[in-house]
Amino acid sequence: MDKTYSTVIEALIFSSDEPISEGEIIRAIRGIDGEDIEITSSDIHSVVEELNSKYEASVNSFKIKKIANGFLFATTEENAKYLGFLSSEKSKRRLSQAALETLAIIAYKQPMTKPELEQIRGVNSDYILNTLLEKNLITISGRAETIGRPLLYGTTTEFLKYFGLYNLSDLPKPREIEEIMKDEDFIDQKNKIMMNYVEESIEKELENSEGENDTTE
Amino acid sequence: MYKIKLDQFEGPLDLLLFFIKRDELNIYDIPISRITSEFLEYVNLIKLMDLEVAGDFILMASTLMHIKVRMLLPREVDEKGEEIDPRADLIKALLEYKKYKEVAEDLNFMESNQRKLSYRGNFSHDEMIAPPEYDILLKNVSIFDLAKAFKKAIEGLKPQVVHEIRKINVTIDEQIQFILSKVMEKGEIHFLSIVHGMKEKIRIVITFVALLELAKMEKIGIRESPDFNDFVIYGIANG
Repeated sequence: MDKTYSTVIEALIFSSDEPISEGEIIRAIRGIDGEDIEITSSDIHSVVEELNSKYEASVNSFKIKKIANGFLFATTEENAKYLGFLSSEKSKRRLSQAALETLAIIAYKQPMTKPELEQIRGVNSDYILNTLLEKNLITISGRAETIGRPLLYGTTTEFLKYFGLYNLSDLPKPREIEEIMKDEDFIDQKNKIMMNYVEESIEKELENSEGENDTTE
Repeated sequence: MYKIKLDQFEGPLDLLLFFIKRDELNIYDIPISRITSEFLEYVNLIKLMDLEVAGDFILMASTLMHIKVRMLLPREVDEKGEEIDPRADLIKALLEYKKYKEVAEDLNFMESNQRKLSYRGNFSHDEMIAPPEYDILLKNVSIFDLAKAFKKAIEGLKPQVVHEIRKINVTIDEQIQFILSKVMEKGEIHFLSIVHGMKEKIRIVITFVALLELAKMEKIGIRESPDFNDFVIYGIANG
C-alpha cells in the first residue's frame, strides 16, 4: 500500500463523529483513486497502529480507538477530568448491577428470549429489559421460531461504544465452569473495580477543588 | 440474626452464591437443609418489606425445600443406572449465573475505563442551554399575529349554557286540599277547569297525582266528560 494513504486514513477518521469502518475508508480511497487500488483491512489496521504510536511518541492528547466496528478519535485518559467538567456526559449515571448482569447474559447468548434470560437470572426482568431498550444498549432483533414467536433480544452498536468494544468477540471471555471452581472467590476482579471507584471519587474531589488546584497543576 | 441490605442481591441465585461464598461451602456439595433454613429466614424478612421482589425468592425457597425432600428419599437413577443428585439442576443454574455475574464485573470495569475517554463530537450530546433572547422567544411573530390569535380564541369560546333550577312549592297534600275545596264548593268540576291557570307543568302533574290519590282514598269519583279529552270530578258524600 502506498505510504501517502496514511494521511488520507487519518483525515477520514478525524472528520468523523461516529466510528468510521474500514469498509468506508476503502470505499473512499477506491472511489477517488480507482477500484484497482490494492488496500486491505489489515493495511488500515496497521496504519492506525502506526498513527497511534506516533501520537504516543509525541505525547498527544488523543489517539484512535477501535470501537464499534470502526475507528474514532478519542482523548487520552489523563485529560478526562477536565473534559468531564464541561460535559454533562460525565454526569450520566452508571449502569446498575442488574443492568450489567442482564447485558452480560444477552451479549453472550444473543439472540435470546426473555424467558431464557429470566431462567439464568432467576428473577423477573421486564423492568430491566425496558431500561436497556430505552438506553439503546439492546434491541429487539427478531422473533424466535418457537411457539408463541417470542421476541428475541440482542446488543446494539451503542452497546459496543458504551463499553469501548470493537466487536462482540472483544468481549471478555467468560471463565469456564471448571476454572471458576478452582478460584472460588474472585477477589482480583473485586479489587480492580474497587480501585476504579476509588479513582473516580478522587477525581470527583479534584473536580470540586478545581479552582484551588489550578496553580499547582 | 445478621442484617442484609436488600438491594445488594440481584435475585435468589445471587443470595445463594452469597451464602456459599460467605460460609466457604463447596458448590458441588451444598448442605441443602442448612442453606434452606438460612434462605427462608431471608425470605421472611423480605416478605415484610417488598412483596414484588419476594415472589422470585419464594419460588427458590420452594425449590430448595423440594430438593431437601428429595435428598431424604432413595436416589433416582438415570438411564445409565447412575444416581441423580437432586441438587444437580440447582448447581448448574448457580454456576451459569456465576459465570455471567463475573462477566458483569468485567463490564463494570470496562465501563469505568470508557468513561475516561471522550470522543469526537463529545459536546454535541450536551444540551445547549442558551440564554433567553427575544429573537428566540418571539420567532417570526408580530403583535398583530398575537392579537389575531387572541381574538380567535375569545370568539371560539362556546356560550356557556346555564340551566336554572327553580323550586316550585307544591305538594300533593296541598293539591288534595285544593281539589277537595273545589269539589265541595261546586259539587262537580271538570279536570281542565281545575288545572286552568296553572303555569308550571309540575303543578299540573302534582295535581293529577293528588287526584289519583283522592280517587284511591274514595273521596272523589271520576267519570267521563261529554267533552273530548276531559273528565268530571265529583265528590263522594260519605268520603
